[in-house]
Amino acid sequence: MTPQQKRSDKNSLQVALDAAKLALADAGLRPTDIDGIAARWPGPGGTLLAPGSADWSGLLGVPISWIGDSYPQGVPALLDAAGAILAGQCETVLITGGQAGVLGGGRVAAYTQPGNEFVEPFGAYTAAHFALVAQRHLARYPDARQGAAAIAASIRNIGSSNPDAIMYGRGPYTAEDILSAPPVVDPFTLLDLCLASEGGAAIVVTTLERARDLRHPPVIVLGAGMEWMRQQYVDPARYEEVWSIGSSAAARAFGQAGVGPLDVDVAELYDVNSFEVARQFEALGFCEPGEGADFAQAVGIGLDGKLPTCTDGGLMSFSHIGWGAPTLKVVQAVRQLRGECGDHQVPGAEVAIASGAGSGAQYYNLVLLGRGDGLGQLR
Amino acid sequence: MGEAGAGPVSELTRDFWAAVERHELVRPVCRACGHNFFTPQIACPRCLSENWNYERSSGRGTVYSATVVHRPPSPDFAVPFRLAIVDLDEGWSMLANLVGGPGERCAPIGARVEVTWIERDGRTLPAFTEVAS
Repeated sequence: MTPQQKRSDKNSLQVALDAAKLALADAGLRPTDIDGIAARWPGPGGTLLAPGSADWSGLLGVPISWIGDSYPQGVPALLDAAGAILAGQCETVLITGGQAGVLGGGRVAAYTQPGNEFVEPFGAYTAAHFALVAQRHLARYPDARQGAAAIAASIRNIGSSNPDAIMYGRGPYTAEDILSAPPVVDPFTLLDLCLASEGGAAIVVTTLERARDLRHPPVIVLGAGMEWMRQQYVDPARYEEVWSIGSSAAARAFGQAGVGPLDVDVAELYDVNSFEVARQFEALGFCEPGEGADFAQAVGIGLDGKLPTCTDGGLMSFSHIGWGAPTLKVVQAVRQLRGECGDHQVPGAEVAIASGAGSGAQYYNLVLLGRGDGLGQLR
Repeated sequence: MGEAGAGPVSELTRDFWAAVERHELVRPVCRACGHNFFTPQIACPRCLSENWNYERSSGRGTVYSATVVHRPPSPDFAVPFRLAIVDLDEGWSMLANLVGGPGERCAPIGARVEVTWIERDGRTLPAFTEVAS
C-alpha cells in the first residue's frame, strides 16, 4: 500500500498506480507478468471514465485475459480473481485502487452519501444507516453501548502506536473517551466511527505454484464467502434482517477451510464502527448473539490478547480510503501471516480473517487466509 | 451518482413525488399478488409482476428504528435532526425524517407515527410525527 494520509496532493488514479507498482515490486513481478486486472475501469460496457478509473491494460501495456471491474477491491475482487485463475482464464491478477484528492469541503466524504432520491433528501448517509441498525441493537442489549466503546478504544490504541497509522500518536483511549467524544449520529460518537482518508492499496493474486517462485512465502486462500443482501443504501437496512449478515458467508468460509473461529489468530475485521466489530464476532460464530462485546473483552482483542483485531489500527485509526479500503484488510492479514509486522506482529500467526462491508451496507464478505509454506498445516 | 436531491430520477418514481407535492403518501401495490413494497422497483419483489400501481397510504405506522443526527452530511441540513425507518400499517417501510412530536424527542421503537409534510430547499417531502396510539 502507499502511505496513508488525511489528505493527499495526488489523485485517485495516481495512488492506485503507486499501489500497483508497490505490489508488483513486493511480489518481484513486472507489469508484463500480469494477465488479469481488477481495478476501476469504465465499468461493464461503460465508456465514461469515472474518477479513479483508467484503461489499465493500455496503461500497463499488457494484453489482458481477464478483467474484474464490478467490485475491484478487497475480498470480492480476491475471490473473483481466484475464480478466474482456477478456471484457467488467467494466471496472475493485479488488484488495485484507492482515493486521493477527493476529501474535504465541509461535507462527509462523497462516497458515504449515496445519491439516491429516497435517501439523500432526508440527510441520510452511511453512518446514519449503520446507526439505525445499532439503535435497535442497543434497545435490545443496553450494555452494548459500553462494550462497543471498549472495542473502539482497543482498536484505536493499536493505531496509536503504529507509525504508519493516520492516528499515530493520538490517545491512548479509554471507553469513556469514546463515549464522551462529540456525537455524530446516535448511538455513535466521532470515536466510534472510522476515518475518511487517502491513499492506495494493491494485491497480486496468482497460483500457489507461481507464488512459490516469488519473493515471499505464499499466503493462501483457505476459504471465503460473500453475501449480497440488497443494493446498499437505498432501502434502509433492517436490524432483524442484517444483524447476522455474514453468518452464512462464514459457514461457507470455515467449511471450505476446515477450521473454526477458535483457529483464527488474527482478525482484520471491517471496522466501519465499533458496534460492527462486536456484531461480527456474533455473526461469524465466535460467540452467541448479543455477546460480541463481552466476547471481545474476555478473549482480548488487543495485540497481547488471544484474538488481536485490526492490528494496524483498523479503519478507525489506521486508514479508510473509500473504495480502496477493503483491500487494506487483505494487505494487513497477509503482512501478519508473513511475519512482517514488527512490533505489531502477532507471534506465530497462521490463520487470519479479512472482512468487508457490514450490516448497514447490506452486504458482507470474508476470507480466511493461511500460510502456504507447509508450516501452517491444519488439523 | 446524479443530482438525486433535486427530484425524481426515473419514470418509476415520478408519480410518487407528484403525489408528495399534493400531500399524498402513496406506495406501490402489486395488482397480481397484492404485495406492498418500497422503494419503487420495476417489478413486485414478491412475484416479479410488472403490473403494479401507486395507491394512497393512510400514512400511519410504527417506528422500526430512529436516530438523531448531530453532524450533517452537508451544510444544507440544520442539526440536530431525526431519521426513522417507519413501518406503515399497510405492510411497507420507508426512511424519512421525524419532526415535531412530544418534546421533539427521538421516537422510541414501536411509537405510533403519521405522515406530515415539510418543505426543504423549495420541495415538499414526507416526514413523520409521533401521535398518541
